[in-house]
Amino acid sequence: MIKINNLHATVNGKEILKGINLEIPAGEVHAIMGPNGSGKSTLSYVLAGREGYEVTQGSVTFEGQDLLAMRPEERAAAGLFLAFQYPVEIPGVQMSNFLKTALNSVRKQRGEDELDALAFLKLVKAKMRALGVHDDMLKRPVNVGASGGEKKRNEVLQMAMLEPRFAVLDETDSGLDIDALKVVADGVNSLRGADRSFLVITHYQRLLDYIKPDVVHVLADGKIVKTGGAELAHELEEKGYAGYTGQAA
Amino acid sequence: MIGLSPENLPTPRQEDWKYTSLSRAIPKKLVPEAAKSSILIHRNRGQICEQGEDILLTGQSGMLHSPVLKVVLEQGAELTLIERHEGVGSYWKNMDMEIILGKEAKFHHIRLIEDSVEAVSTLNTRIKMSESSFYSGFYLIQGGKLVRNEIHCLIEGEKAQCHFNGISLLQGEQHGDTTLCAEHKAQYTRSSQFFRTVLDDRARGVFQGKVYVHKNADKIEATQLSNALLLAEGTEMDTKPALEIYADDVKCTHGATTGKLDEAALFYMRSRGMSAQEARRLLIEAFVGGVVDKLEDEAVREIVYYKVQQWLKRRPDDI
Repeated sequence: MIKINNLHATVNGKEILKGINLEIPAGEVHAIMGPNGSGKSTLSYVLAGREGYEVTQGSVTFEGQDLLAMRPEERAAAGLFLAFQYPVEIPGVQMSNFLKTALNSVRKQRGEDELDALAFLKLVKAKMRALGVHDDMLKRPVNVGASGGEKKRNEVLQMAMLEPRFAVLDETDSGLDIDALKVVADGVNSLRGADRSFLVITHYQRLLDYIKPDVVHVLADGKIVKTGGAELAHELEEKGYAGYTGQAA
Repeated sequence: MIGLSPENLPTPRQEDWKYTSLSRAIPKKLVPEAAKSSILIHRNRGQICEQGEDILLTGQSGMLHSPVLKVVLEQGAELTLIERHEGVGSYWKNMDMEIILGKEAKFHHIRLIEDSVEAVSTLNTRIKMSESSFYSGFYLIQGGKLVRNEIHCLIEGEKAQCHFNGISLLQGEQHGDTTLCAEHKAQYTRSSQFFRTVLDDRARGVFQGKVYVHKNADKIEATQLSNALLLAEGTEMDTKPALEIYADDVKCTHGATTGKLDEAALFYMRSRGMSAQEARRLLIEAFVGGVVDKLEDEAVREIVYYKVQQWLKRRPDDI
């Protein structure tokens, strides 16, 4: 599905990613754990194509395509989705308008028919019911005044609408209490399937109790320093990142 | 105060005309209209019409137009006026408008300025408000090489209320100036000013908003807000909010911002599949929508949104 090869990236001239190698086959869920400042969020932004994150070396191949040569919207259309750690508030833009514009942009790029207002509403309402998102949300401006839990649920709703092949969840657990965490995890789990892969980025093992990974990677100082099974997450929870960074995280 | 005359143009040395230079902008060798167009709208006491008035003021190339408009609403009368400004070629439209509102009269005023991009349009409006009268104005500045929308509102009667809202969408070399003064002379009166300006290419926007409160005009409430969005490096926004208060017990607020489109929001939208252009359009529409949504009349709101969308479609694909 996605293959990251010797990826180096800088932000404001400072090298943050220092040679990442990672391959995620279709249908698998991989987790990346690491201390603050290890480059977790940088990796997610580089994959999504944010300006200011400069790739200096290496390659990313997504379903046979050169991901790094694509614009952010082309990546979305190709099936990449980033669930933001801090979903952005957009005053004045109604959620329904935002979602419909996004969905139809993606459908157009994928060569599918655009949905009319009625078909869109039917689809989004069904997805919202499944995720326990309140109808009000469609009329509200995107993420404005929403709680941490609502924002993360909103991210999962967007993911469910856009039906990506590969989703990156960037610290989706941050700012969530245990109930909200379960709801979000259930939403993600319902989207798991044989032809959809996930990269779950997190600081804590807690989220991985609910979204069970196939593989866990440890990221420290811009490199993957260890790879293992789900048990690696528990080990990290017990011992901390000290063994990987040379200092307590 | 009387309208401008070609013989006696203001210069940028005058405080009020610091940001807008008329003499350079006005086309040369204009021919004055043979007959000044003069329109009077008068509503008798208590007269309320479902059907509003719709006025079209068209400019013609090479002409100096000096239309005079007068609206008089007697006690309790109500009126909605849509005033459209269009034209072809280079001309100077120098309008003078007077609005007199009797006790409890209500006037909804929608001004759509879409003059030719070679034209100069100076619209001078004076409003006089009696007790418990109501004025709401919405002004769209989208056309013209140079537009000066100047409004002076004298609030003479207690409990009178006036609301001034507007959006400006300017591109190329356009210059759009909103100069506004709400003069509170009576107690328990209210005024609000809310303007949003979008500037592209090398366009320039001006907002000079003033609230003047006379001595003893206590218990008044006045708000003022100007936000500008700059889409290109060559744009300029000049903002001069002013409060001049001689009464002791008043509530006045003012604010002004000038900024660019939110990069974080743009990336968020693109990461959801929207093109950069589509994302910008949505954000710009949302920005001006904050003012457009103040329009109570749904039909008018739709007209304005349509014009905003047309403007956005005309913007070059700037990726």
